[in-house]
Amino acid sequence: LRVVVAEDLFLLRDGLTRLLSAHGFEIAAAVDTAPGLLRALLTQRPDVAVVDVRLPPGFADDGLQAALAARRQVPGLPVLLLSQYVEQLYAREMLADRVGGVGYLLKDRVFNDDQFVDAIRTVAGGGTVLDPEVVTKLVGRRSHDEPLARLSGREREVLGLMAEGRSNAAIAQQLFVTEKAVSKHTTSIFTKLGLAASEDDNRRVLAVLAYLNS
Amino acid sequence: MVVMWVFMILVWRVLSRVLRRFGRWAVLVPVTAMGAAVFGLNVWTAGTVVLALILAALLALTLAARRAGPAGGRPGPAGPADPGGAAGRPGPAALLPLMMVAAGVCGLWAAVTTLLPWGTNSVSVLQAAAGLGPVPGGPAKLAGQGFTSPGKGSGQAFASPGKGDAVVTPIPKPSSPAQFAALQNARRQLAQAYRRQVARGSTVSRVSRPLHPVVHGPPLWWGRMLLLGSLLLLAVGLWLLPRALSDLRTWLEPVTPRLRRWVREGNWGILLPPVTALGLTMFGVRPWTVAAVVAAVILAIVRPRLAADLVPLVLVFFALYGFMLVSRLSGPRAFMTPTQFGAVDVDSVPTSVLAGMEASVLLAFAAWLFPRTIGAHARTKTATGHEVELAGRVQRLTETRGHAVDSAAAELRRIERDLHDGAQARLVALGMNLRALERMLPASPDAARELAAEAIQTSARALRDLRLLVRGIYPPVLADRGLSHAVRALALDTALPVDLDVDVPGRLSAPVESACYFAVAEALANAVKHSGARRIHVRIQHAAGMLRIEVADDGAGGADPARGTGLRGVERRLGTFDGILAVSSPPGGPTMIAMEVPCELSSPKTYSCSGTG
Repeated sequence: LRVVVAEDLFLLRDGLTRLLSAHGFEIAAAVDTAPGLLRALLTQRPDVAVVDVRLPPGFADDGLQAALAARRQVPGLPVLLLSQYVEQLYAREMLADRVGGVGYLLKDRVFNDDQFVDAIRTVAGGGTVLDPEVVTKLVGRRSHDEPLARLSGREREVLGLMAEGRSNAAIAQQLFVTEKAVSKHTTSIFTKLGLAASEDDNRRVLAVLAYLNS
Repeated sequence: MVVMWVFMILVWRVLSRVLRRFGRWAVLVPVTAMGAAVFGLNVWTAGTVVLALILAALLALTLAARRAGPAGGRPGPAGPADPGGAAGRPGPAALLPLMMVAAGVCGLWAAVTTLLPWGTNSVSVLQAAAGLGPVPGGPAKLAGQGFTSPGKGSGQAFASPGKGDAVVTPIPKPSSPAQFAALQNARRQLAQAYRRQVARGSTVSRVSRPLHPVVHGPPLWWGRMLLLGSLLLLAVGLWLLPRALSDLRTWLEPVTPRLRRWVREGNWGILLPPVTALGLTMFGVRPWTVAAVVAAVILAIVRPRLAADLVPLVLVFFALYGFMLVSRLSGPRAFMTPTQFGAVDVDSVPTSVLAGMEASVLLAFAAWLFPRTIGAHARTKTATGHEVELAGRVQRLTETRGHAVDSAAAELRRIERDLHDGAQARLVALGMNLRALERMLPASPDAARELAAEAIQTSARALRDLRLLVRGIYPPVLADRGLSHAVRALALDTALPVDLDVDVPGRLSAPVESACYFAVAEALANAVKHSGARRIHVRIQHAAGMLRIEVADDGAGGADPARGTGLRGVERRLGTFDGILAVSSPPGGPTMIAMEVPCELSSPKTYSCSGTG
């Protein structure tokens, strides 16, 4: 898999490239500014991009803006955002095009390199990975949305793990149930959220989006 | 004369109060008092004054009784003011001794000037007409319409009488009863002529200055009578005075502070009419002087400040005039037409001394008034509203600056503590873990792996601590995108559904943005924690240099900003930017917190908001 890394701190950029190389990723480009990132994304067309939200020159959400701009030109271009903080607002903006291939994680998650690499692969495969912190906030929130309110407690739990980018197998492992049971839950979730049976991954994205918009 | 005017001012000020308090009848008092002052004091005027006083006292008594009647049922505090029937004691009655003293002083003055060998024995037309003063033995002429000038010097013959003129034969030194009778006759004619003038409706302006006849005659019997009477009046008045004054003070107690303030605030202007009128007695009375008096009165009413400034100037002018008169008498042409200056007719060295004293008094009064009128006004020229406003502003800024400094210090302390107890401590632990790891690695790899996992967790916790800290200092979204997005993010993180209505087309200055953000955060947190609301509505709008924030919920209400520290802290923080906070939270709800901060927008924002809370 070809990866573009965008991170302005040299130590972190270096660490990321080494970590990704060690896991068999090919580093297409490692940039340190938002314009450089946009250029790299459009010229290299990587399989996935790992992007720091805060980048020069603005040191605001320049990385996010560059990623969004690239995805407007290349719909579905997989981007995993890294940040020192997570905001639902930014997650929703990333997911707004309903295509998937989006990840949004705290930088701390890099520590757990296995999960981190899994997340990158999920995003590259068009899935959605949201940081558990975002999901926790969503769970803590009382739902007032009609379709979401119809979900059972277990189904909401499954939806939360789905938003974190876990596969059915992973969810089954986490909840100590069989994969078949998880599959039943996901089907039930899709039905209740009114998501027709089409491509499975896209349905997962839409379910997460519905979850975010609740 | 000066005494009389001052007295009249006092009386008028006091009596106008009385007038307002006791109604129209009280007008009797000032009118009669003025009459007494104009005509001098004799049996009739004094009697009228006394009568007026009695009437006014009776009126006041009945009014007080009527007022006390309905209020009688109310239990009043038995204070020290109560015994002695302070309510029933009429104030105007306390004025009687004052008037007696004043009349005594006036009479004494007249008597002394009559009786003393060096005195002028002069008598003004007014006094003559009133039956006071020595008989005019000098030349005097009464014309039908006006009065012509006497010749040069007193005791000298003057122009031949015209038709219808009353002639007073000059008798320089009346020594026989016949001469005296003739003088009496002349005086009577003079008085009658004057009264006719007045009765005809002509004003005093018809009387020209040289009319005041001045004679050097022997002391007359009634001069002694006047002396006696005045002394008697003075004695009784002085005996009654202390009591009357204390009465007056208690009676005026409710008004004196206001009076004092009124006078201090530039209303010395009320003195302009009397001071101008003083000029009338000096220059004689002419139409233009009347016009000047009228103008002075109007000025005193319409522009009290300017009038007050004019008073000392006019006084100085009169004083200079007096000194000029005095200097004229000291030259080789030491003799001159008697010229009245205030209370004296200046025609000799002794009278010039008196005039000089008078001028000095006027000058002293002017000097005393100067800092209170012109000086004070010059100092506070630009003051009044503007300066008061500035003073208020300074006070507000001092307060809010204090709050800002305090809260900044408190914030720094909090950050220091958080870093010390949080990230710093965790990094220390991390360092120790890594050190132990290094030692263990060759010996026991399993334990080392455990330690490594622990180190990773510690570093993650340190990061989380720092993240929370940073969010508390300056929320990242706020830094990235400004208030509207930050509030949107805040709404997303709020456990209750939040309706957003944000219209801020641009960025605010960072401190204002931050203060507003934390204000909204506090309001939202309160709503979630305390109100039991089901929905929250946040409305933020910027218009005409003012940012308005409203946070409303449909909860139980009863929020009290005085009880909690949160909203008060918000209020202080907004106060630093001249912002204000208002809370409306009746029991039963709804609660509405409104904030306003004056601020300007900088650049228009570059990002569009998508989605709703």
